[in-house]
Amino acid sequence: MDWQTLIDEPAVIATAVLILGVVIGYLVGRLNEELLTASGVPEAVEGTPFERTAQSLGTSTVEIVARLSAWFIYGIAVLTAIHIAQLLDTDAFWLRVTEFIPQVFVAVLVMIVGFIVADKSELVVSEYLRSVKLPEVAVIPKVVKYTVLYVALIIALGQIGVHILALLILLAVYAAGVVVVGTYAFQDFLVSSAAGIYLLLNQPYGIGDRVRVGDQTGIVQEVDLFVTKIEDDSEEYIVPNRKVFEDGIVRIRE
Amino acid sequence: MAGLDDVFGDLFSGVDAVALFSPSGSYYERFTDLEDEDDDFELLVVGTENDVGADTFVELPLEFDNISDRIRFGLEGALDQDIIDDGDTLACATSVFSDDIDTVSRVRADADSRTGIYDLFARSRADPEVVKSVLELAIELGQKGQKGKPVGALFVVGDAGKVMNKSRPLSYNPFEKSHVHVGDPIVDVMLKEFSRLDGAFVISDAGKIVSAYRYLEPSAEGVDIPKGLGARHMAGGAITRDTNAIAIVLSESDGLVRAFKAGEIILEVDPEAY
Repeated sequence: MDWQTLIDEPAVIATAVLILGVVIGYLVGRLNEELLTASGVPEAVEGTPFERTAQSLGTSTVEIVARLSAWFIYGIAVLTAIHIAQLLDTDAFWLRVTEFIPQVFVAVLVMIVGFIVADKSELVVSEYLRSVKLPEVAVIPKVVKYTVLYVALIIALGQIGVHILALLILLAVYAAGVVVVGTYAFQDFLVSSAAGIYLLLNQPYGIGDRVRVGDQTGIVQEVDLFVTKIEDDSEEYIVPNRKVFEDGIVRIRE
Repeated sequence: MAGLDDVFGDLFSGVDAVALFSPSGSYYERFTDLEDEDDDFELLVVGTENDVGADTFVELPLEFDNISDRIRFGLEGALDQDIIDDGDTLACATSVFSDDIDTVSRVRADADSRTGIYDLFARSRADPEVVKSVLELAIELGQKGQKGKPVGALFVVGDAGKVMNKSRPLSYNPFEKSHVHVGDPIVDVMLKEFSRLDGAFVISDAGKIVSAYRYLEPSAEGVDIPKGLGARHMAGGAITRDTNAIAIVLSESDGLVRAFKAGEIILEVDPEAY
């Protein structure tokens, strides 16, 4: 038996492909791990529940993602080997599988990233709200977390071809609700802050000036984005900047 | 050593409350265990941060190097928050030479002899954070000076509207139409450079630097500050009597930082000691 016939043997080619796949898969896994570590992913995901779960299972987020990419390549190698060795000879099956595998891979990746981003945003938001000493405020980080997870889930399901129209509609209704309620609730703030930006940039009046806004007369004590604090002998008025624009301001000079 | 226990036992026998100054976690837990057994005394923690998660806590604005200032601040804070009552006896455990607690001092809380050191931070018009940043800035300025030379500075904090009406500009205000607040790192550098200017810095309740180069003109009647302090201290003391502001003054001659409220010296710290 010479070399030529040996190389033509499907089983030999299949084995070669399999070995090549294992080597490449291992290398890609290692490379991914190095890249993710170098780009600071371990620090970014530190403290998120996903990372903590991974740690308790004796692994880490970086390792999971790296392993995933390695297993993806192993899977392709195995399938290619099977195809070459003609163990399963059904073209239709082959077509389905080649289309489906990358999608599953992306879907799993999206879910992992979704979990981490959700956990991380929950942490960031709760850290930001920590100075607010109100028990009910604890619900906001949770809402943020599950919103991110929901979006990730929709993307992942969309990847693997599940019908997600109903979920999308739900998301649209939810987003529209947040926007509408938000703008309605904060419209005074938005108008006031627009006026406040003008007041801060142009300073038509400053701290120490004697002014009159509407019925209130006094010395300006503080101007910030939303309100102007005006004080007379016994009372301090906190006037929204919106009102400063509506009523106009009178500077009083003795 | 039983004899020593008897003698030193007088220090903490029959106290109404125990004040721990910046205790470590395990040290604090030993006291909470003790408190659970018999609740004869109140337990309170005083420190710059509530590291141990104590229920009754008095926050120190800065790590006072002077023990009597530290204890007095803790006492006045505890009195103010109604943790202890007038006339209570306290055992104050604090650290002097090491980082751990090594000293116990027996103190009687006396509401009449309060110096107002707690009020300076907690009851001023300006935010406590702002008062703290300005005080830290003055201390830092006192340590380093301006390019190695000692400088003086006068910061008037809070009630900026009234202060502006009781002062006039000496020259153009470098902070005109700017929006800088004390506590921003860049501002410390700016203020250090501007400390060469004559006159006072005016800072608002929320910490905005309203003006530099201000000549304060309050009436100095009835201001009682130690003789020998100069015009800067007199101006700073007097403006706090006329307005609800507080003044933090860095002396050019002796390098001390003094805080005034309602025309009186409340606090005197030596920057070199920090």
